[in-house]
Amino acid sequence: MTRYITSPMIIKELRQRLRERRSWLLPTLYLIVLSGIVACVYYFTTDTDRHLRGVEVQGADIGQAIFLAVVLTQIIVLLLMGPIFSSGAITIEREQRTLAGLLTSLLTAPQIWWGKFVAALLYLLLLLASAIPLLALPFAFGGVEPLDLVKALGSIILTLASICTIGLWCSAIFRRSVHATACCYAIVLVLTIVTGVAFGMLYSHWQESHQGVPGPPAHIQAPLFLNPLYPLLTLIDENEFRSYVYPSSSWLMFAGIGCLAAALAMRRLQRSGEQL
Amino acid sequence: MIEVDTLYKSYRKSRGLDGFSLHLETNELVGLVGPNGAGKTTLIKVLATLLPADSGSVRVAGHDVSADPMAVRASLGYLPDVAGIYQDMRIGEFLEFFADAFRLKEPQRTAAIERALERAGLVDRRQDFVEHLSLGWKQRLLLSKILLHEPRLLLLDEPATGLDPLARIQLREQLKRLHAEGVAILISSHILSDLEDICTRIVFIAEGKNVHETQGSAVTTGTPALTVRCELEFEGSAEALDRAIAGFAGARVLERKEGFVLFELPGSPRDASGFLGKLLAAGITILHFDARGPGLEERYRRAFGDHTP
Repeated sequence: MTRYITSPMIIKELRQRLRERRSWLLPTLYLIVLSGIVACVYYFTTDTDRHLRGVEVQGADIGQAIFLAVVLTQIIVLLLMGPIFSSGAITIEREQRTLAGLLTSLLTAPQIWWGKFVAALLYLLLLLASAIPLLALPFAFGGVEPLDLVKALGSIILTLASICTIGLWCSAIFRRSVHATACCYAIVLVLTIVTGVAFGMLYSHWQESHQGVPGPPAHIQAPLFLNPLYPLLTLIDENEFRSYVYPSSSWLMFAGIGCLAAALAMRRLQRSGEQL
Repeated sequence: MIEVDTLYKSYRKSRGLDGFSLHLETNELVGLVGPNGAGKTTLIKVLATLLPADSGSVRVAGHDVSADPMAVRASLGYLPDVAGIYQDMRIGEFLEFFADAFRLKEPQRTAAIERALERAGLVDRRQDFVEHLSLGWKQRLLLSKILLHEPRLLLLDEPATGLDPLARIQLREQLKRLHAEGVAILISSHILSDLEDICTRIVFIAEGKNVHETQGSAVTTGTPALTVRCELEFEGSAEALDRAIAGFAGARVLERKEGFVLFELPGSPRDASGFLGKLLAAGITILHFDARGPGLEERYRRAFGDHTP
């Protein structure tokens, strides 16, 4: 177990990643985008026109709006970044002809995979952590409980971990980084867009025969369990979102996908001698 | 050190190895020679635990490569034909990473890294980035890296590719030193003159099969099918020399000039040495005698003829 915690692969990967220019450029851009989103949300929720329309703006409304905007922006941006950091991790070793050196050392395929996984995930967690001050901002306005923050962060971390394992699987099966990255993005698109479209179709069909019944039942929501945004929808305290109460189903789905992708990637890595 | 018996390995569209066998002892430096696509790289990859064999027995340092790959990796160092290197790491970091990857513990770890830096001649450059090294220095660093865990066997696949003449000479000297230190080496190369200089034995391979096995220059015993080409420079009359050559069964003159004769004798360089004794006993003044037999190029031509991939 110690071999996995203090794996030389993790040290090597982090060292290499943090030497890249994007290691400081990306967090900077990430925080600029998030800050811009927070400023926009604050501006629109406290818009003076709303006062003129007689809508009273509570501090809790501002807090919730900022919280949801930051959380949703984070998951979307990190879903776009996850494939960049994970799907090139093994292919780059192939492209640079360094994989043979790793595979003929005393590092096992699971250790190599683990080093790549931890390094990719840690970098995404660094981005996530850098935005904690922005996520803490809603507490000043109210409307958000610490448990909501824990749920949101936990859900994002689990989703990102799964995306990283999918990226590493793509990286293990393809020879070139560009193909692996394209495949990983395709899977992310399927998870976010196709599941949403599938749910929309099922929901509209269900609605036709269930006029006036509040919210879709679990089996209609099922495609959304594979959607990375679904657990975050369950945090929204609005009437139209009251039926979305199955975040644990989504978490289980992502945990399962992650385990499967990890097992397949390690198996492929063990047999990658022919691709060298 | 290496025991390969009737090894088969197929790819989707071709056969990599077709019943190949090889035995390599601990004190040997063996050259693996064959045309492109002969199966050299496949053989080395199977030995390095990178490729599984379809059938046949493969043991390295007493361990079965498929049953106990970790023990095999612990006892060998592998340098692929196009070996990659982490350009964005410092030289010291690169060696530290592989020392950890080979599970070296302190104080052996530090000692191994220092030894590797010395071996590569990079002691003063450990803080430099690998990308700033020339190809020759990178090759030296890679060779030092695969020696970190003090393997008993080296598998080198075309290690001199792309090196300039000086770097090639240094590589040869390094391999000779390692061989003298007791490291067994299997080296695949197309540079026959390099192999001729350093190898104790040459193994020929074509289409995944053993073609022919013959002796390198460092070994004095020959194979019965061989002949020896001898160059002789002498002083005085050629009559006594002609008589001596005519008296040696199977000998024939290939070329003759004033004070020089090139002739062929059946047998090994040892037989040529006996023939030289007879010439001296006949009172012929010998200025130069070279009986190293046919060079590796000649042997290669005999083994493969006009074989082209």
